[in-house]
Amino acid sequence: MSADNPQQLKTWLAAVAKKDSQSFRLLYDAASPKLFGFVLRILIKRELAEEVLQEAFVSIWNNAASYQPHLAAPMTWMTTIVRNKAFDMLRKVNDTVEIDNDSFDKEVMDALESQDPTPIESLQLTDDAKALARCFSRLEGLHRQAIALAFYHDLSHSEVAEQLKQPLGTIKTWIRRGLERLKLCLTKLEGA
Amino acid sequence: MNIQHNEKLRDLLSAAYVVGTLRGGARRRFETYMQNSALIQREVGEWQDRLHPMAEFAGAVQPPTRLWNAIEKRIKGSASPWSFWISLHNDLAFWRGLGLVSTTAACLLVAFLMTRAPDTTAPSATSYVAMLADDKAQPVIVITGDASKHQLVAKLVSHPSVEAGKSLELWAVPAKGNPRSLGLVSADGTVTLPLPEFATPQSAPLLAVTLEPKGGSPNPNGPTGPILFKGAWVQI
Repeated sequence: MSADNPQQLKTWLAAVAKKDSQSFRLLYDAASPKLFGFVLRILIKRELAEEVLQEAFVSIWNNAASYQPHLAAPMTWMTTIVRNKAFDMLRKVNDTVEIDNDSFDKEVMDALESQDPTPIESLQLTDDAKALARCFSRLEGLHRQAIALAFYHDLSHSEVAEQLKQPLGTIKTWIRRGLERLKLCLTKLEGA
Repeated sequence: MNIQHNEKLRDLLSAAYVVGTLRGGARRRFETYMQNSALIQREVGEWQDRLHPMAEFAGAVQPPTRLWNAIEKRIKGSASPWSFWISLHNDLAFWRGLGLVSTTAACLLVAFLMTRAPDTTAPSATSYVAMLADDKAQPVIVITGDASKHQLVAKLVSHPSVEAGKSLELWAVPAKGNPRSLGLVSADGTVTLPLPEFATPQSAPLLAVTLEPKGGSPNPNGPTGPILFKGAWVQI
């Protein structure tokens, strides 16, 4: 079972809301590798990432009944929980995490730019992530990085400006326009 | 500032909220708006669906086994003992398979009833049967239903040991929703119970017996104890 079947994830979440531990296990097996990869990228330190993922899944177990399928996809809902917990941890340890700017989306972008279809397949992205990656690749590299830095590292506009050594106004514009373009591009892909 | 009627601003703020660049007081104000507006909740949900797949760009990493063990330990106390049914409900293959085996099961059950219960007259009106077996597939209880008399008979064909102070309770398990009680079954001999409308094989394709406190499940919405015997409920 993969995380690429939102319907299946919804069914499991509905069962988890009724405290069904077997469905919870299936949900964990399907979703945890992607979520662990995500939280590792945010926190870098393995023991912190493990602690956060544990907290996040206990929270998913306790709050599955509050998941509203008409508002967001199941993976989106779980990612929100993981991301919030990871950012809480970042603030708690108050540690400057080494931000690896260059390699962040390099793998994905390289795969997209490759003529060979295998690299993008080898990343095992869900259809939603593939669509997003495609739209991301149409943005300028720095715009892309500005959005990714904010999303992954809980950085404010001014912190992103500092990281990318750009004026604050420029960063604000990049992020705003980048998001607008992503929305437009994703809407077009959906319609296609 | 009324963001409710300003589509462009609403979209901008929703996106900034999701990506994380909306900060401090502006973020808190936006959260208050969001709590009171289904529209903003939906737009935030849409932005989350758009941007959260970015999480996958990090690449999947298999978490260590100890992580699941730790999680399992923490949820243990709150897991439902009724987990079995819920997962059964989700198992479409099981329900499809049930339809296929029903005919065979019905034939076998009729043969079984003829040999084991010679006093049972051949049913003429709409009748239902189920053979409830334990986890080793040993038959324990045979249930026959008579639709015209609105009655069912539960007959024990072996003698399960039941702890003192406990009761056996019979349940109709619908394909969707909670199991519904059909009454208590005695640990030996035969019991006649009313057969309610909701307990036809069409609406409840499965019957089960659980171990409950004396007098039956204290929970009005379903069983509290483990499932001891179960079987397909079929029309013959």
